[in-house]
Amino acid sequence: MILPNRRAELVVLACLCALFGFMTVTAFGYSLRDALGPGAGFFPFWLGTLGMVLSLALFVQSWRGRAIGEGTQALLPRGEGARRVAALVAGLVVVSLLLQPLGFRLAMLVFTAGLLLALGVRRPVLIAIFALASSFGLFHVFYYWLQVPLPIGVLGI
Amino acid sequence: MLQHLVSGFAAALTPAYLAYALVGCTLGTLIGVLPGLGPAAGTAILIPLTFKLDPTGAIIMLSAIYYGAMYGGTITSVLINVPGEAASVITCIDGHQMARQGRAGTALGIAAIGSFVGGMVATIALVLVAPPLARLALSFGPPEFFALMLFGLCLVSGLAGRSMLAALLMTVLGLLLAMIGIDPVRGAPRFAFDIPDLYDGIGFIAVVMGLFGISEILLAAEAPVGEVVRARLSSLLPSREEWRRSVGAILRGTGIGFALGLIPGIGAIVPTFMAYIAEKRLSKTPERFGKGAIEGVAAPESANNAYANAAMIPFLTLGIPSSPTIAVLMGAFIINGITPGPFLFQERPDLVWTVIASFFIGNVILLALNLPLVGLWAKLLHLPFPYLCAGVLLFCVVGAYSLQQSIFDVWVMIAFGIIGYVFRKLDLPLAPLVLGLILGPAIEKSMRTSLEMSAGDYSIFFTRPLCLGLLIAAAAVLAGAALKLAPSVLREPQL
Repeated sequence: MILPNRRAELVVLACLCALFGFMTVTAFGYSLRDALGPGAGFFPFWLGTLGMVLSLALFVQSWRGRAIGEGTQALLPRGEGARRVAALVAGLVVVSLLLQPLGFRLAMLVFTAGLLLALGVRRPVLIAIFALASSFGLFHVFYYWLQVPLPIGVLGI
Repeated sequence: MLQHLVSGFAAALTPAYLAYALVGCTLGTLIGVLPGLGPAAGTAILIPLTFKLDPTGAIIMLSAIYYGAMYGGTITSVLINVPGEAASVITCIDGHQMARQGRAGTALGIAAIGSFVGGMVATIALVLVAPPLARLALSFGPPEFFALMLFGLCLVSGLAGRSMLAALLMTVLGLLLAMIGIDPVRGAPRFAFDIPDLYDGIGFIAVVMGLFGISEILLAAEAPVGEVVRARLSSLLPSREEWRRSVGAILRGTGIGFALGLIPGIGAIVPTFMAYIAEKRLSKTPERFGKGAIEGVAAPESANNAYANAAMIPFLTLGIPSSPTIAVLMGAFIINGITPGPFLFQERPDLVWTVIASFFIGNVILLALNLPLVGLWAKLLHLPFPYLCAGVLLFCVVGAYSLQQSIFDVWVMIAFGIIGYVFRKLDLPLAPLVLGLILGPAIEKSMRTSLEMSAGDYSIFFTRPLCLGLLIAAAAVLAGAALKLAPSVLREPQL
């Protein structure tokens, strides 16, 4: 039986194998041994090698049709679920990009309002109240009470 | 020891520490109740709230969040058949059936009482066991510590998930990610690629927020939450017959939870499954299980809290975290300049005994919070998903940023959120990755120090009896898992 996420499993295992390979090669560039014993590259070199062997073994196992787990869940969501997941990831990326130029309060205000809209909330007053309260409220708690220096943007907010 | 404990109580009962424990228990229960936020991510996200506290206060609050979250998950298990955290999975079976039969109050009541008994008994045992174990651990050298940590990681790899190979792969990935940054022995940068943010390594807390917080929210966004049972919560106390059935279940669950909590790496789900299966096998009427048997709630809930408190023993005495949430606590200790392990009892007895005393107080607070306020917690389940999701993500972003006031940690969190989402979909277990990441620097340092002691001679690991015994045990765990000798109940479906 071909499982819905088999291809995804193979891709992920291949990526992991490549990552382990890269780290093994890089570790080889550090000293494996020095005058005091094992060098800086010793541990990562052997871990990387072990990781490559394990990911290859799982790759072969998956290639032969034996999934890692139950393998019944499709990797990529569809329909409404896919839209919600995409909105969350996009929102997080955008807020990370805006956090320093816009400042914490404005960036979070935009993020919260946008996220609520993307998740299907259609009550503008509630969205505005929640976005304002959460972004400015959280800033107040962290900046003034906990004295965490959160970013302040170009507008001075 | 008694003198230390009394001093600990004197400190823990001061208004400030009592308030931290109360706030921690409340926040922890909230985390457990809200679907989409498990105890590991919840504890990690709330670390910045403790920045202004002194180390003892911070640890008291975070510990209270931890065991508050362990209880809070029960409420969603009973009322909506969705476990608030992984260890409450088994409670869904009979707890939700009880709710459907109009006995939700009784299910939540016995869960609170069972959790209280389990937590108190395990904490008393912690007081008795921890000091001698810490003294014993003082005789450990680097080879023994290396073997002990390897044993813990082998247990995690052998028991987590359905595939031992996958769990091993995740352990190795965690260990390798821990190598990023400054070499702990020579002080040279590794895998930093001239990126200054990487010199300090990948932020462990940001990784946990991503793996357990963001990925959980992404998964929750895909599937709608189930129907909330409009439960009658007036009768919280069980009937006489239900008491009769529950007493033995609570005591057995406590024993199982405590015993398994002592083993590093066993995970929180296993004790609850073991306790449930033990009750079913011991019952004269096993056919009631799955249809609302009160023992099916009492035993796993007692085991859950006994495990949560017992897991503090290897953590406080040996510095080995048993679960991702304890690993987060370890991160919090380190942020506060405290290293868990055998020296903690010698160097900071004031802190460690105050924290232990706060466990007792926290258990009482939890009982007081959960019995009368269970109706209030149940109302939180009606919070619409978009608001819950936005609130959790806001806290994740501000939490990750606050760690080092660095946007880099936010990117790390997002990246590991997506990685965690993919890994969960593929049944690649996350607990071994997290434990590998937190133990990586210590395991490397102890191994290299051992080899320096022996001038590169590997026989140092095989000529010291305790070290050899632990290595044999580690090999036996892996061999047993490979040969499928471990009972299927010991394999965690997903962490």
